[in-house]
Amino acid sequence: MEQETQEIKDTQIPEGAPSFSDDGYQVKLEIFEGPLDLLLFLIRKKKIEIHDIPIALITRDYLEYLERKDQINLDREAEFLLIAALLIYIKSQMLLPREQELPSEEDPRKILVDRLLEFQKVKVACTLLREKEEEQLQCWKRTFLPPVARPEELELLEVDLFNLAETFFLLMKRKEREDFRLIKSKDVSVEDKMKEIVEYLEKQGSMDFLEYFAQQESLEEALVSFFCLLELVKNHTVVAIQEQLFQTIRVWLRKTRAHHHGYSHE
Amino acid sequence: MNDQLKAILEVLIFISQEPLTVDKIREVLGEVPDEELQAALQALQSDYAADNRGIQLVQTAGGYLFTTKPEHDQWVRRLLQIEKKTKLSSAALETLSIIAYHQPITQAEISAIRGVDSTYCLKTLLQKKLIKITGRKKAPGNPLIYRTSERFLQYFGLNSLEDLPKEEEIAKILEEEKQSVS
Repeated sequence: MEQETQEIKDTQIPEGAPSFSDDGYQVKLEIFEGPLDLLLFLIRKKKIEIHDIPIALITRDYLEYLERKDQINLDREAEFLLIAALLIYIKSQMLLPREQELPSEEDPRKILVDRLLEFQKVKVACTLLREKEEEQLQCWKRTFLPPVARPEELELLEVDLFNLAETFFLLMKRKEREDFRLIKSKDVSVEDKMKEIVEYLEKQGSMDFLEYFAQQESLEEALVSFFCLLELVKNHTVVAIQEQLFQTIRVWLRKTRAHHHGYSHE
Repeated sequence: MNDQLKAILEVLIFISQEPLTVDKIREVLGEVPDEELQAALQALQSDYAADNRGIQLVQTAGGYLFTTKPEHDQWVRRLLQIEKKTKLSSAALETLSIIAYHQPITQAEISAIRGVDSTYCLKTLLQKKLIKITGRKKAPGNPLIYRTSERFLQYFGLNSLEDLPKEEEIAKILEEEKQSVS
C-alpha cells in the first residue's frame, strides 16, 4: 500500500479552521488564503465582468473584508494589504484627467485583470487535480521492504548533479575547517579512485558518501573522490540517493550491473 | 496470444516497486516484437479490468503498475485501520498546479501568480517529493528552479505531463461557470 500518501498534508494553514463558540457549536468559516482568492470571490458574488471591474466598488468590499479580519488568513495580512494598495493605485490612475481616452491595452486595470485571469485558470486546474487526487487516494499500491536500507524511492530520489553540488559545498566547508599539519604529497588519479569506490561498493553493498569523503586523507583526495562520484553517476555505474537536501548521499551500484544484490527475498 | 509472455509481464510488474516502463521490460526480456509486447500488455490489462478482479493494471508515470480498484477502498482501510487519507492543503495544491503548468519556474514567479509568498509550500512539496529543484535560473540572485517530479505524476495517476488537464479544457470550464453566473 501507499504509505506516503498518508503523510501528504500541509500543516501550514488549516483549511477553514474550526472555531468554537460558547454553546459548543462547531462553526466552519471559509478563510481566504490569499488576496486573489478574495477578489475572485467578490467578483463572482457581485456578478461582475472580469474585464470591466468597477474598481471603487470592489475596493470598498475588499477593504471591508480586510477590516473584519475573521475571514482572511491573518498570516497573509501584508499580502492582502499589498493588493488593496494596488486597487487604490488603479483607482487613482483612472481618476487622473487625461487629454485623450486611453487605448484599452493601457487600461490601468489591465495589470490586475491579467493576474486574475491567470489565477482563475490556476483555480480550475486545482479543482481538476483535486478530483484526480481523490480518485488516486482510493487506489492502493503494494509496498514492501526492499533488501537494502529503504531504497523504495530509488528511482524517484536519484540525486541530480545540482543536489550533488550542494552537498559538495557542504563537504568542502567541513574539510576547510580541518587543520592540516602534515603535508603529504600523494598523487591520486580519478581512475584509481573510481576503481576504489567501485570495489568498496562491491564489497559493502552501499556507501555513505559523507563519511567516505570525511575519511579522505587530503583535501585533494577528497576532491578527486567527489569527481569520481560525479563520473560514476554520469556513466550509470552507480545510483546516488539523497533522502533530503543537505543530508548524506548513499551510493549503490546500479541494478543492471552483475554484482547487484537483487531481490533476494519476498 | 502469447500466454507465456503475458505471465512473465504479470510477474515483472508484480515485483516492481515503481511503475515498470516498457524500456525496462525490453531490457529484461530482450528481443520481443513490439506488437506482441503491446498486445500482451493490453490483454493483461483487460483481464484485470474484469469485474471479478479487485486489482487493476494502470499506466502511471510512464510505466505499468498494479493498484487496487477504487471501489474497494473501504476494505483496504478497514484492514489497515486507516480512517481517511490526507489530501494536500489547498495552498499546497495551488502551488503545485502552478508549477505543473509553468515549469521550470522560480519561487518568485510562483508567488507572483498566487499573490502570496510560497516559500513554505515549496518546502512541504519538496519534502513530499512531489517537486524537485533542477537548477538555478540565470537571473539576478540566481533563484532555484522547480519542476514536478515522477512522484507527482504517480500521485495524480498521470502517465506523463501531457495528461494534465489541457488549457482548452480549463477555458471551457471557465466559460461554463461564466454562463451559469449570468
